[in-house]
Amino acid sequence: MSSLQEYVEKLACADEAERTFAAEDIGYLNAPEGVPALLRRLGEEESRAVRDAIFQALIRIDANAAIEGSIRLLASDDPRIRNHAVNVLRRKAVRAIPFLNAVMRDGDKDLRKLVLDILRGVPAGGVEAIYEAALGDKDPNVVITAVENLGLLRAREFRGRIEELLQAGSHPMQVAACVEALVGMGDPSSFGMIRRRFPNLAVLPDFLLAAFLKAMAVWGTAEDFNEVAALLPLRGPHLRSAILGALFAIRARCPSAAANTGALLAALRRIVEDGDPPLCRYQAVRILAFLAAEDDVYAFLVACLSSPERLVRLAAAESLRAAGRPGLEPLLAARANEETDEEVLQALSC
Amino acid sequence: MPDLSVEQFQTLSQQIYQKLGLHFDDKKIYFLKTRVARRMAALGIEDPREYIFMVSYADPQGLEMQALANLVTTNETYMFREYDQLQAFANHCLPEVLSAKQARGERTLRIWSAGCSSGEEPYTLAMILQEVFPQAQSWDCRITATDIDENMLRKVVAARYGCRSVNEVPDRYREKYLIEDGDEYVVRRRSAALVHTLHLNLHDRMAMRAMRGFDFIFCRNVLIYFDDDSRKAVVDHFYNALNPGGYIFLGHSESVGRVTTAFQLKRFENHLVYRKE
Repeated sequence: MSSLQEYVEKLACADEAERTFAAEDIGYLNAPEGVPALLRRLGEEESRAVRDAIFQALIRIDANAAIEGSIRLLASDDPRIRNHAVNVLRRKAVRAIPFLNAVMRDGDKDLRKLVLDILRGVPAGGVEAIYEAALGDKDPNVVITAVENLGLLRAREFRGRIEELLQAGSHPMQVAACVEALVGMGDPSSFGMIRRRFPNLAVLPDFLLAAFLKAMAVWGTAEDFNEVAALLPLRGPHLRSAILGALFAIRARCPSAAANTGALLAALRRIVEDGDPPLCRYQAVRILAFLAAEDDVYAFLVACLSSPERLVRLAAAESLRAAGRPGLEPLLAARANEETDEEVLQALSC
Repeated sequence: MPDLSVEQFQTLSQQIYQKLGLHFDDKKIYFLKTRVARRMAALGIEDPREYIFMVSYADPQGLEMQALANLVTTNETYMFREYDQLQAFANHCLPEVLSAKQARGERTLRIWSAGCSSGEEPYTLAMILQEVFPQAQSWDCRITATDIDENMLRKVVAARYGCRSVNEVPDRYREKYLIEDGDEYVVRRRSAALVHTLHLNLHDRMAMRAMRGFDFIFCRNVLIYFDDDSRKAVVDHFYNALNPGGYIFLGHSESVGRVTTAFQLKRFENHLVYRKE
């Protein structure tokens, strides 16, 4: 009896471990003839461990049979099976592309979307035709997924196409995805185009503002600083982190950005003192580093060194160091004597 | 130091979780930022966005992710490391498994410390077992300590440790289970007798298949150094090596659920543990 036949028979063993080992052995045998047996077993297998082993075997089998079998599994009703099949096909990468092209051409909208899930993170070389088709798809989910993938990959050759979609798009999620993709691609000329599309930040709905603030973080100028800062008291807490992120990034890039210090300090103080999530409070204190030439800001940062929240203390130590005002070292050394957290101590003394 | 924004921190933590199974919560922003700064300096990268793009999409062999992993994990091993996780073992998992065994009339207990290094973990487990379950002496209890490095296994057999290794051992345990010998500590014979060493390469498929019948497997802070496929293969073997109702413990920030869906997730107080159904 050949090894393959032996392993195929063991796929039906009562013992779960034996079935797992059999699937694994078929994978290591790298035998395309084992694929039908693995797929058959998958249809009736109840153990998740054995199912996992079957998919690992499909990854190991370097043959079209494993790709074709996995493509058939994309249509399964079981989302776990579909996810596993996506993973197998992602691992097959280049070899699977002709098969994925066919699915993109002939498959329904769910399958077309899954093709793009498979390609997520896979460099766009060799799959341009799939993306061209996806960007012109009639289903918005397919278009959005394609745009997201291209942004993640910084596929700049598609920048023009995505700018067109942004100009013409009316589907809100698609518009937001286009903005984020252009930010990912990182061409500064896109910013002007995004700005023209959304001239007034104050009237942007929240989901679009979140995407727009990412563009601000990357390209916003000194002139944009106060416009972004003005959003802080106006928008809900769910946007706070994105607003603070944009403010920090603009100011770090454009030291000349002049702030309305009084209003900004008041807004940031409220965030630090009113029990916002620790990471937001951290961001707020870090922004204050840029305003620390003002005595009241400096005094507030010093007070933050004694905050019960360690991320606030960490941010205060970092901000005071960044501000670098005279007399800082003795102050930090004195604080270090009372500090017990290792990382805060490190920030105080570095 | 280049400033990693909060959004960049979140993106990077997500990537680290997806690729290494290590979870960094918000409290770890400074920790991760300082490590990333070191990697960026070593690579001559100034913009954190470039670094994040590289580890996410331009690192096909996973070399940079591994270099980062080496910085964000510690090779240091000491007794009672990750104390909270050991508490979940001592207070919940171990009593549950022992009760089930007693109800079935069984008197054996098998624990596997996989990738045991110089032995601090298996001896910690031996101390906990004796403390939680004094009847262990009349049962057939065995802690199998495996490692690929035979030099390490020789250290396990010697059962002799410096101060750094025993720093976190609670005083009561130290007096009861260790003997001070100059500037070293020796594990008392009764605890040492529970631990048996075995040379084992976790990548050796056939040797791994021979490991069966364990009630607990500890493999903490080992799999982070493996690539995705190897990690998955090892965890699948662990699944087969466990008895039904047995538990697996990876490092407290490592996720079993990301590697395989085969285990059942259980919560004891604040601890998430993985159990074979």
